[in-house]
Amino acid sequence: MRRIGASLWFAWHSAGQNFKRNLGVSLAGVFTMGLIILLVGGALLFTHSVDSILQTQQNNASKIKIYISDSASLAQIADFQQRLKDDRRVISVAFETKDQAAKEASSDPDIQQALQTLGSNPLPASLNLEVKQLTDLAAFDKLAKATPIVDRTTATDYNPDVISKLHTVINVIEGIGIVIALILFAISLVIIMNTIRTAVYARRTEIEIMKLVGATDWFVRWPFILEGMLGGIIAAIFSGGIVFAGYHLFVQSAQRSLLSVPFDGGYAVTLLVLLLGGGALVGAFGSYLGVRRFLAV
Amino acid sequence: MSVAFAERFAMPAVVHGPRPVISFHGVSKVYGNHVVALREVDLAIHQGDFCFLVGASGAGKSTLVRLLIREETPSTGRIFVEGDEITRMARRKLPKLRRRFGIVFQDYKLLANRTVAQNVAFALQVTRPGQRHLREKVEEVLWIVGLEDKLDKFPDELSGGEQQRVAIARALVHRPHIFVADEPTGNLDPDTSWGIVQLLLQINHRGTTVLMATHNREIVDLVRRRVIAVEQGRVVRDEAQGSYLRPGDATL
Ligand SMILES: Nc1ncnc2c1ncn2[C@@H]1O[C@H](COP(=O)(O)OP(=O)(O)OP(=O)(O)O)[C@@H](O)[C@H]1O
Ligand SMILES: [Mg+2]
Repeated sequence: MRRIGASLWFAWHSAGQNFKRNLGVSLAGVFTMGLIILLVGGALLFTHSVDSILQTQQNNASKIKIYISDSASLAQIADFQQRLKDDRRVISVAFETKDQAAKEASSDPDIQQALQTLGSNPLPASLNLEVKQLTDLAAFDKLAKATPIVDRTTATDYNPDVISKLHTVINVIEGIGIVIALILFAISLVIIMNTIRTAVYARRTEIEIMKLVGATDWFVRWPFILEGMLGGIIAAIFSGGIVFAGYHLFVQSAQRSLLSVPFDGGYAVTLLVLLLGGGALVGAFGSYLGVRRFLAV
Repeated sequence: MSVAFAERFAMPAVVHGPRPVISFHGVSKVYGNHVVALREVDLAIHQGDFCFLVGASGAGKSTLVRLLIREETPSTGRIFVEGDEITRMARRKLPKLRRRFGIVFQDYKLLANRTVAQNVAFALQVTRPGQRHLREKVEEVLWIVGLEDKLDKFPDELSGGEQQRVAIARALVHRPHIFVADEPTGNLDPDTSWGIVQLLLQINHRGTTVLMATHNREIVDLVRRRVIAVEQGRVVRDEAQGSYLRPGDATL
């Protein structure tokens, strides 16, 4: 324990000293890292916001009307309604009578006219279903078609085209966000590695001497890795702050223009933690790679 | 140079074992530029030996030292240190190998951005992390080499001879099994040089194996210990109580 403690202390001490001593290079590294973390954070928050907007759409889309045949008895309908209510995937079920349907439809003047000409009400009663998952709609459409009391000609208002399109859009945007974040992550790793390599190059004789006196690779490496982590964390603190503030402003101005973008505080905090962890990780790994070639003494 | 120091800083005396501490078997070294620095060197140095390594500039003395700690690998041949074949040693075992040595490099190899005390302490931190009484040990060994008033100076604030003595202190502080010094008195006045040699004789007396490359004829002739002479990469002479020059020769 004492040995490990002493080695760690030595590493921390050296890391701090080195950071100060090579302030120019260190700051350049922190700055580039900060810039990239800013981009990563921005990209993730942007996709998340777009995602939330689409999610709202998706919620609206997660509704289906199951049309009931005119011959169905009230008891049969109540029975079917109960069955749907008991289903876990369902949020709510509401019964809409023929009259209600007509009333609803009468806001459209064309339909109103058609109703008047017909004299009788051709609109079916329906069970209006709201489900949790957009993807479950297909299953309910199928269920409806297999149920005897459901209207034979048009069982539901389910339109698989619109729904699958919306679904694809959401997936694509989420995917793009992740890909952008990954690309930026890789770029930052290369930049950090090269920044550190420049910093280390100036100290290659120091490393060589350490190794010749009997230092292990890890003894030499630790201070550099801690230095990289330190830089990554500092960069993440600054960039994270900027991203957070930017997100706040964006949501406010969006709301002023009546675009409802929800401010997701939980996500923002998770993101900050993620950026901090990512910064530390990239800094450490960049240092590890940067030092590697100089250790072969 | 006190006897007390020698007692504290030297390895305890060990009975002469049959196996050499260092042995070279047909070792040649050709550098990348086709310079042949060592040719077919065979050599055995035993526990407790005190050897001078002499030879003209460019003869191959430093190369021999570099091979010992695997700073360089031989082109052919095998080298053993305390029974381990170092020529085939895995890279991760090198730190342990190097810690057995105390090495004074011809170019000192001091860390420019650390003070004298930090440079010496460094050798201890590397070899024995968590060492107790670090500061005292460092100060003591620096006092031995006469640098007790330069603890907090940086190497570039020191004279050549002072830097050399820092290098000597660093090589001694962790009580190595084998002390190798590449021209450790090249920058020192006769009195200081003699003091350093006395110190090495003391730690040798306590059992530490000493190998010292030198151009200092006076010292070699006064001490009269084993002399290994190298000429153009070959060991041309190896005498138990030798002198700097071959008896009767006017030059090396
Ligand atoms: N890194 C190297 N690359 C190429 N050639 C080298 C290298 N180091 C030494 N040499 C050559 O190898 C030969 C032996 O050099 P070495 O340094 O071992 O001599 P030396 O006996 O220590 O000399 P000196 O007394 O001047 O220190 C010389 O001809 C030198 O030019
Ligand atoms: Mg030399």
